[in-house]
Amino acid sequence: MRLLTTILIIALLSAIAQMLLPWWSVAIVAFGTTAIVPTEPAKGFLAGMAGAGFWWLLAILWRDIPNHQILSVRMAELFHLPGTIWFIIVTVLVGALTGGLGGVAGALVNRQR
Amino acid sequence: MAYYKKHREKHITHRQRKRSMVWGIAMSAVTIGWIYALSTPWGSLPAIGKLLDPIDGCMANAEPIHKNFDDKLNLNGIKQPVTVWLDDRMVPHIHAQNNHDVYYTQGYIHAYFRLWQMDMQTRAAAGRVSEVTGESTFDFDRRQRRKGMAYAAEQSLKAAEADPKTKGMLDAYTAGVNAYIDQLSKGGYPLEYKLMGFAPEPWSSLKCMLLLKYMADDLTGKTDDIPHSYLRTVLPKSEYDLLFPDRIPAATPVIPAGTKFDAPSLALPNAPADSVAFPVYESVDFGFKREDGKGSNNWAIAGSRTAAGVPILCNDPHLALNLPSLWFETQLQTPDMNVYGASLPGAPGVIIGFNDNISWGLTNNYRDVKDFYEIKRVAGSSNEYWFAGRKTPFTHRKEVIKVKGKPDFAEDVLYTVHGPLMYDERYNEKGNLKRPLAMSWMGLRGSNEIMAVYGLNRATNYDEFVNAILHFECPAQNMIYADKKGNIALWGQGQFVNKWPNQGEFVMNGWDSATLWGQLIPMRENPHALNPEQGYLSSANQLVTDATYPYWYNGDYTELRAWRINQALSEMSKATVEDMFALQNDNYSVLAGTVLPVMLQYCTGVNNKYLDSLRGWNNTLDAYSMAGSIFQLWWRNLYLGIWNDDFSRVPDNLTPAVELTMQFIVNEPNLKYYDNRNTPQRETLKDIVLSSLAKTTDSLNRRAAKEPLAWYKAKNTSVTHLARLAPFSYSGLATGGWGNTVNAMKNNHGPSWRMVVKMSETPEAWGVYPGGQSGNPGSIHYADYLKHWADGKYYKLLFLHNSKEQHDGRIKYTWTIQPDN
Repeated sequence: MRLLTTILIIALLSAIAQMLLPWWSVAIVAFGTTAIVPTEPAKGFLAGMAGAGFWWLLAILWRDIPNHQILSVRMAELFHLPGTIWFIIVTVLVGALTGGLGGVAGALVNRQR
Repeated sequence: MAYYKKHREKHITHRQRKRSMVWGIAMSAVTIGWIYALSTPWGSLPAIGKLLDPIDGCMANAEPIHKNFDDKLNLNGIKQPVTVWLDDRMVPHIHAQNNHDVYYTQGYIHAYFRLWQMDMQTRAAAGRVSEVTGESTFDFDRRQRRKGMAYAAEQSLKAAEADPKTKGMLDAYTAGVNAYIDQLSKGGYPLEYKLMGFAPEPWSSLKCMLLLKYMADDLTGKTDDIPHSYLRTVLPKSEYDLLFPDRIPAATPVIPAGTKFDAPSLALPNAPADSVAFPVYESVDFGFKREDGKGSNNWAIAGSRTAAGVPILCNDPHLALNLPSLWFETQLQTPDMNVYGASLPGAPGVIIGFNDNISWGLTNNYRDVKDFYEIKRVAGSSNEYWFAGRKTPFTHRKEVIKVKGKPDFAEDVLYTVHGPLMYDERYNEKGNLKRPLAMSWMGLRGSNEIMAVYGLNRATNYDEFVNAILHFECPAQNMIYADKKGNIALWGQGQFVNKWPNQGEFVMNGWDSATLWGQLIPMRENPHALNPEQGYLSSANQLVTDATYPYWYNGDYTELRAWRINQALSEMSKATVEDMFALQNDNYSVLAGTVLPVMLQYCTGVNNKYLDSLRGWNNTLDAYSMAGSIFQLWWRNLYLGIWNDDFSRVPDNLTPAVELTMQFIVNEPNLKYYDNRNTPQRETLKDIVLSSLAKTTDSLNRRAAKEPLAWYKAKNTSVTHLARLAPFSYSGLATGGWGNTVNAMKNNHGPSWRMVVKMSETPEAWGVYPGGQSGNPGSIHYADYLKHWADGKYYKLLFLHNSKEQHDGRIKYTWTIQPDN
């Protein structure tokens, strides 16, 4: 339960943070969350990844679906990826890793258990 | 059990906590490093983190396909309320109550749809591309500086700002563009800015001028003076005149043969002796390189030949096929103007189009307006050159080229009485004359073409049309006209010099005042025709006049399309707009029709499946035509087979015109040029026809093994993104035609805009271009016209009546713009 809650908190706070701050604010949000609410490092990493990744997935689909993949097809081609789904995967991975790294760092810095 | 597992107390020691904290700090450093790496460009890749950011990155440019473009804006730059109607083709119809507001809004809208394109094209004009793309474009930028492009734009800006009408247009337009840029957030930048890693900069009226000079250079910047000088050294005069005549025999000039010209107001100058005018060169003085050219068609057919009894005007300018498209359709309305047509993002007004009363179109007038002068520097003095027997100081213009990732490059370009010293010991181009050359170019003058646009957009009759175009100095254009009253006219317009015969045909002595550009020909004396008896007028980059025109001129003309168009128009009666569509899309090859029967005659008895295909062919280069592919390749091999051995070292690979070669093959079977001088035996025309056939057969066999020989595949007509990004470009378009058919679709060059205007009481118009109104590759409107254009189809253009109230069903969105006070 705890993990899922952390993931959702990170996702929600990232969404809010990115209204004002640049893309890497997901790392700060994950760091802050796992530092304030003591978390095991592995769970911190996972929560950061899943939270940030989930938020980025929602955000990118929110743009991609009404656009009928016009741009994501072109971007996938530009990055030499086999298809538009890979462009979305790469994007989500970038966000997820950023959140994950922040999450594990925060968890380690304030490790309680 | 699970409960206990989750909630058992697990304490860690103080030391473990400290160790964790150290790891935590290390991971924080890793995180920061990761973020930094993704925020920095790597080679040609922009910062990945910023790019993939779903909020402000590239996906912010993913425009919803059902986006609602309705808007209410408050812009403090406009004086009175403005309404913009966007129709079902995303064409903005701007209704304003004064000139300032219409141009301000046009600037805002051009920026809204095409900002990056405007930025890149004006950077290209000014030689400032390397600032954003790095070293790879340095040579291009340096060339632009050497040509004096920014200098030219500055001169024209002075002229435009000296007139309150055009100053007003430019100031308003610039303010509108900047109003759009000012409200842009980083996430709202056009996609290409995000990919290339730079930001939009403020717009200026100078940039409008740069764009116009860029077009002028594109259309009049190529001249054959240097190859001509080479040919003059290797050929006797009689051969030079035979192979490079001023006029192709049987040309059908722009201004119909037999048109009466007024007596010239200027005395024709006497030519100085050749020894005075032209330096003597040797062939070793020249390097070696390649090149190509532009073209267009326009015509007007009078009511006497149309079914509806009113004139129909047509234009299809041929330019490089790029995305975003060069043109942007728009309608502009003020109390004294209601005009529709193709505009250039980066400049105010409508460049090709029609209004409530008249219509007009442009094709390139290939009269030579660029000449080269060899400069003799004063020995021992780095800052002087000889002119008219006197030591004359150069003037200097410092050019600084910023190169991304490298230090600035600075050099002084020297200016002479003729113009900039384009080539000297510091800078030259492959294939050039190895001498210091200054360049005179009509585009370097401070001309005010915007004034012509202002006048054309508002003109209500022929006289107003003429008064307007008299401001249009460079590029020289053949300007076609038609009005509701039934008049048609054509002007070979531009600013020209009263030259002595052959002045500017070759590189000239820059130290003798006899070669200096003399008086300008008053533009009212430019050749023109109004309501000719023949009932039609057309131009397709051919020779401008017959030999009775009193002033001398030279140029680089093509006749093939003109022959076809004039033949077609002369046979028309009861013509309809469908006939015009068909003619603009005509793939018939006059070249094939004329020369192929002769080529086939030399092949009687030869057994070759490709010949069989050609024998049954209708000489039409349709998209799927196999015979078309065969002919084009055979002709190319034959043409090169005739000339390559004789002209292997000509700069720019200049060889005699296709039209002339065609006439030689038909009429002169015994010319010595058919002989291949690299072989001991003497070849005849028949030999070369057969050898080129053999060569062609080999190539075709190899190609046919891989794919069908359809003409469109061989041609590969493509529309390419300005930054050459393949995912934003289209290639292999199934179109027919070639540069020398009316449907002049080449590889990356073709009809950039097609327009047909029927001059009924309310003009009706049809148009299409290869692209879309939006410059955003993430928009459904980026290239939504492309297939229609490739298929040879047209859209009916929505020409709204001049009124604040509009109820047309084709209007989809409305912008209501209020002044911000």
